[in-house]
Amino acid sequence: MSAVIFFIAAIGAISGAVGVVVLRDPFYSVLALVAHLVSLAALFLLLRAEFVAAVQVVVYAGAVMVLYVFVVAYVGEESASLGERMRSTALGSRRMRLLASLAGGALLAELLISLLGTGLKAIDSYGAAYHPGPRTFGTPAYIGELLLTRFLIAFEVASFLLLVAAVGAVVLARRRGGLGEETVTVERLAPLHLERPLGTGTMAEGVEGRGVAPSARPGDGNGAGEPVREREPVR
Amino acid sequence: MILPLGVVGYYEAWWVQIVKGIVIFAVALQLVPIVLIAERKVLGRFQSRYGPNRVGPFGFLQPMADILKLLTKEQFRPRTSAGVMFAIAPAISILTAVAAFAIIPFGNVQNIFGEPVGLYGVDVSIGPLYLFAFGAIAFYGVMLGGWSSGSKYSFLGAMRAAAQLISYEVSQGLALVGVIITAQTLSLTGIVHAQGGMWYFIPQFAGFLIFLVASFAETNRTPFDLTEADAELVGGYNTEYGGGRFASYYFAEYLNVIVVSGIVTTVFLGGWLMPFGIHPPGWVDPFVVLVKMAIITFFFIWVRATLPRLRYDQLMSFGWKVLLPLATLNTLVTAIVVVVTH
Repeated sequence: MSAVIFFIAAIGAISGAVGVVVLRDPFYSVLALVAHLVSLAALFLLLRAEFVAAVQVVVYAGAVMVLYVFVVAYVGEESASLGERMRSTALGSRRMRLLASLAGGALLAELLISLLGTGLKAIDSYGAAYHPGPRTFGTPAYIGELLLTRFLIAFEVASFLLLVAAVGAVVLARRRGGLGEETVTVERLAPLHLERPLGTGTMAEGVEGRGVAPSARPGDGNGAGEPVREREPVR
Repeated sequence: MILPLGVVGYYEAWWVQIVKGIVIFAVALQLVPIVLIAERKVLGRFQSRYGPNRVGPFGFLQPMADILKLLTKEQFRPRTSAGVMFAIAPAISILTAVAAFAIIPFGNVQNIFGEPVGLYGVDVSIGPLYLFAFGAIAFYGVMLGGWSSGSKYSFLGAMRAAAQLISYEVSQGLALVGVIITAQTLSLTGIVHAQGGMWYFIPQFAGFLIFLVASFAETNRTPFDLTEADAELVGGYNTEYGGGRFASYYFAEYLNVIVVSGIVTTVFLGGWLMPFGIHPPGWVDPFVVLVKMAIITFFFIWVRATLPRLRYDQLMSFGWKVLLPLATLNTLVTAIVVVVTH
């Protein structure tokens, strides 16, 4: 059973990752990335890491990918033209392609080094044994304890980094005028103004004698003796 | 075999789990029409009219007629829609809603025909995180539906839904952190057990209110139903949907209301526990939970009948500038109190 789930999730993860690169439409690329991340969460579940699996889905498939979806959905057309630019044979695109393959190669080499260095030793073994219980390895309680004791500094530094990034994003957006003070004056038009043109017998007209003069503009359309259609000032 | 009554995180044999899966799906399917007719009847009363009263006795078969009508309609899609996604999106919504329903505990581990069975789908060790994980995926149901329709109203509705879900999920999660700190467990049955002395809506009253308000936004209910504001968006993300697919969205929406009522019941209202120290036999527990869920669902309908819709910027600034700081403060105060009193 676990083998079946493993292969479904593994195939999902790999095809999702391939899809991110191969698919033309950026929106589908993002969706493929979501599928990849959810498949990874399933793999974590198989390893009895429920907390990591849930966080994977909540943080990556949920929060991070939502931002991607936002950006792609709003500026989808323009990012398609980015793909066109990459496929063209201009000098800039060639340089870009070279840089991209260099970066990708470096990443691949790094992955291979880490994999050959540590991962292969674990392949033949069964890994750490699973002990069900409330405070054993992999449970939220255990992870929380580690985060607040052994990895306290790394944890705090990471959270501080995120805080700095969030504040920085707000500051940058402000500097570019993205979050400027709202100076737009809202013009409000009451439904009354639309429904009842002046001269149709409102109380204000009766009292103040407004709008009962015959039409001064010729060709107003609605016949002689029509009251002046001047709108009272919008409050 | 020793009966593991009152054990947190208990898993049954595989066949029991399959039976439970079927039962949960059946119960979820039965609850939605009940909530549907209840909502229409109660709304009718709030608005000084009868509500549906033609189909069946007192109109109680109205949801059946509605569902039958929707399911027998022709499946169509707009020419601008993105085929596969358009069909998948409602299925994602319904799947995540049912999956979230699985963690609501309707009772403790009971002895049914000599087999210990927990009256819940699954008692996960990560508890509420499971809920939020499926909530994160449920977002894609709405988002894909709106995007793949290829219409601006759907798209705007989906974008609003996305921003709204993300904003209010944070407050919702933080409101639950206070409870988790107090109960010192993530398991939902464990949280219910921890409420033996006092239901958490008393010590965690601020958390209770924050969670409730955020839940209105999470389930797209009035006054936060900006995603389907029919005055400005025609129908929101499901504008282009009709027939069975629309029924799926509708179903998922009401199921989400039920799930949220279940979570509020479990986390703040003592789950299957009765007040005043009454300990009924085990078979009463699910009914206690159902009654509490009905009360919360009634509250949802009541608010829908009472409050007008907010403006979208009001919704956003309320979520980020009021609810989130309050939720953070609640978590902080709870943590300090728990540390000091221990």
